[in-house]
Amino acid sequence: MSPLPPNPLLEQFLSEARDLLEATGNKLMQLEDAPNDPGILNELFRCVHTLKGNSGLFTFPEMTRVLHAGEDLLGMVRSGNAVYSRELADRLLDAMDYVGLLCGEIEATENIDASRALESQHIAEALRKLMPSLMPNQGVIAANGSNGVASMVANAQTPLADDPFTVLPQLAGIPEGARKSVLAQCRQADLLHWIAYRPQRECFFHGDDPLNSARQTPGLMWGRVLAPEPLPPLDELDTYSCLLGFDLLTNAPREELDQYYRYLPDQVEITAVPALWLVNGKAEVNVPGKASSTANPARSRSQDDQAAFNTVLAAQRQILLLDDRPAWHAGRLKAVAGVLANLSQGVGDTSARIDIRAALAEALSTGHNTLLLAWLDAWLAAHDIVKAEAIFPRMPGTDGDFAPAEAEATADAGPAPESDAGRVPAEDGIKFGRRAEDSLTGPRSLKVDQTKIDRLMNLIGELVVSKNALPYLAERAESQFGVRELSREIKGQYSIINRIADEMQDAIMQVRMMAVSFVFQRFPRLVRDTSRKLGKEVQLVLEGEQTEADKNIIESLADPLMHIVRNSLDHGLETPEVRLAAGKPAIGKLTIRAAQEADRVVIEIVDDGKGIDPAVIKQKAYEKGIIDEATLERIGDQEAINLIFAAGLSTAAVVSDLSGRGVGMDVVRSAVEKINGAVVIESELGKGTTIRISLPLSMAVTQVMVIESDGQLFGVPMDHVVETVRVPKDSIHTIKQSQTAVLRGRIVPLKSLNALLGIAAIPRSNSDDELAVLLVQAGALELGLLVDGFQETMGVIQKPFNGLLSGLSAYSGSALMGDGSVLMILNIREIV
Amino acid sequence: MPIEFKKNRAIFRDEVSVEEAEALLEWLQTKPTAKVDLSACSHLHTANLQVLMTAKAGISSWPKNAELRAWLEPALKSVD
Repeated sequence: MSPLPPNPLLEQFLSEARDLLEATGNKLMQLEDAPNDPGILNELFRCVHTLKGNSGLFTFPEMTRVLHAGEDLLGMVRSGNAVYSRELADRLLDAMDYVGLLCGEIEATENIDASRALESQHIAEALRKLMPSLMPNQGVIAANGSNGVASMVANAQTPLADDPFTVLPQLAGIPEGARKSVLAQCRQADLLHWIAYRPQRECFFHGDDPLNSARQTPGLMWGRVLAPEPLPPLDELDTYSCLLGFDLLTNAPREELDQYYRYLPDQVEITAVPALWLVNGKAEVNVPGKASSTANPARSRSQDDQAAFNTVLAAQRQILLLDDRPAWHAGRLKAVAGVLANLSQGVGDTSARIDIRAALAEALSTGHNTLLLAWLDAWLAAHDIVKAEAIFPRMPGTDGDFAPAEAEATADAGPAPESDAGRVPAEDGIKFGRRAEDSLTGPRSLKVDQTKIDRLMNLIGELVVSKNALPYLAERAESQFGVRELSREIKGQYSIINRIADEMQDAIMQVRMMAVSFVFQRFPRLVRDTSRKLGKEVQLVLEGEQTEADKNIIESLADPLMHIVRNSLDHGLETPEVRLAAGKPAIGKLTIRAAQEADRVVIEIVDDGKGIDPAVIKQKAYEKGIIDEATLERIGDQEAINLIFAAGLSTAAVVSDLSGRGVGMDVVRSAVEKINGAVVIESELGKGTTIRISLPLSMAVTQVMVIESDGQLFGVPMDHVVETVRVPKDSIHTIKQSQTAVLRGRIVPLKSLNALLGIAAIPRSNSDDELAVLLVQAGALELGLLVDGFQETMGVIQKPFNGLLSGLSAYSGSALMGDGSVLMILNIREIV
Repeated sequence: MPIEFKKNRAIFRDEVSVEEAEALLEWLQTKPTAKVDLSACSHLHTANLQVLMTAKAGISSWPKNAELRAWLEPALKSVD
């Protein structure tokens, strides 16, 4: 049996997610052919919507985010506010691929790596870009936010686009005291992170408390509250719209920060800041006189700093020397200019910035780097800095944290094709490792139509039957043709096929197996509601929920179990007062226990209620005419209790809406017997009742005993067989018209199978003048069937009769024997 | 009540949640000269901070919690 997955809910989600993703993909394809079909669009929307809703059950914000954007976009397409296009479909398919990728990740690790947060953010933004009129979404606010910060900082100028160094002037905003204490906490080599946290305006409604989030940020060293935009007058303030922002400085690693802010990646901007910057950052931007020792940082720089400084300069020069012109050439130039500006500022040359800007403007308009390069060389010479090239003839490995702009440039340093420049930006979208077609990670669970399994079941049944023909063949080979060798070989082959067929049958049965928890799961609620209604206090104990049985068995168990539980609650368990008076704990206990015993599942429903009074049952049964007066006198307590399974008997004095209509227990019994199960009841007055249901693990294979009568073979289900005996003819007595025999000290009525089936032949006896008696149990009745002989017991696949034959109640069905003959299975209950 | 409103003084206690913000805003609108006592406050929701900043409310005493004070003092002073 396969081990149960650790989290069935998650398993279910993944399986559904894959279905929905597939459906989404299909619908998108269909939509390409019929872009205006509202039906497909609706279905598509519903798929994405469902998937989003499901993902929200778990902590997969990355997935939810992408799906949410997709849903919004589709919503707009559906309402006619956006137009369906190829590109839109591409984007959505990409997004669905991404979700599929996340599913794979969840399947492998049950988690999504926090580093996905930014990726998913990009994808969601790419989707939102396709919406015609941008709703006030996070992207806009974030952009405003960073501008707001810049304008807050006194000496800052407009930051150069995409320049990671923009935080440099912001570092200057850190008060002197805080800066010193931060520096005291870290070494110069430490990498800190600057976080610009700009909460969404509506974040309060999401239950966020940004101040709290900011305060709890891991590794927090310093932080401040600010208002990115001027606060409104007090009268116009909307209390529930967040207007504040936060700047934070932390020494936590990037991964930890990503993890911490994984729900709000769109609201935070995390920039790596070497602790070193904090030293220089202050001195350069603010009043130089204040920190006299660092007035000329160029002189006071350590050798390490100087080396780093040179490295960066060399890198910039190298970039300028590149003669390819990729699409992002302008961005590259801006990045270089930004770095140079900050570097020059770092060594105290504040006027250089103006020159750089001029050179940049020139370079951008002409597309040539020469001016910037010339400026750099001139500046290097003027500042007596050794030409970078001399120290670093080749580009050293770049540090991504330190200068992402150059990392990007070098990574693509190879001669990029000219045509790249003309690429549509939308196509330059986010690629994330692998696409759906790269690796088909099959889902681990399959949804299979039950008819397919049934077909497999039938086929294996036929295989079992035809395999059973081999021993006959071996027999014939030996007895008829006298080839002993061949017979032995056939038997050898048979045992192999037998083993494989058995295993195969087992495997197919496994597919149909379900845990009883499927039925049990509804009981907690049922018991709670019912006991509340009845004013009783009941503790429900479920045991063995993982026990498995065939799907059909489990499903047909649902109703009988429900009846029994209701009965126990209604009739069995007493109210707290009654219980206390009887010296029992006030809270009644109802246990539902499932266990596997050999090839059967046994389910017990145990209550510690008042039990069943056999006297009351007997009286009732007599009153309702179920038993006659003689039986009333004769039957024992156990038999009396079993009378509650008789139709039309209710033990409750009052008919309630729960139970007591007398249709309960007999329905239970017939339902259980229909699936070849048995139900017994044990009860002790005042102590409680136990109802035990025993069911076959599977209905597919029935164990039958093959008997012979008048030259024909019949099958009798083993459930009914008590024993087989041979009784000497002279110990059979005839009382009135019926034959009886004394077996194990009891008088057992005997009936001839031939007579019961209307065959005009008398039972044959063997050479010792003994008759074969098959002792069967049909309900409470024990009976000896006179047959001609016994053969082996075997497992058969029983097929019910169809058509005209289905009216034959004497047989429950037929089965194919190994030699190809048909075995009729007797329905013992009907014929006796 | 996490905020106790006296005649001309609001006393914050323990954690002040977002639900208090509306009441605080209304109270400050009617009492522009009121002072706020934060000494017993361990946390206040951003919404409350925002109200205090907008109202430029005078602080009669800062939180005893030094970390919270480090957050609030620059923010509430800078709007003066």
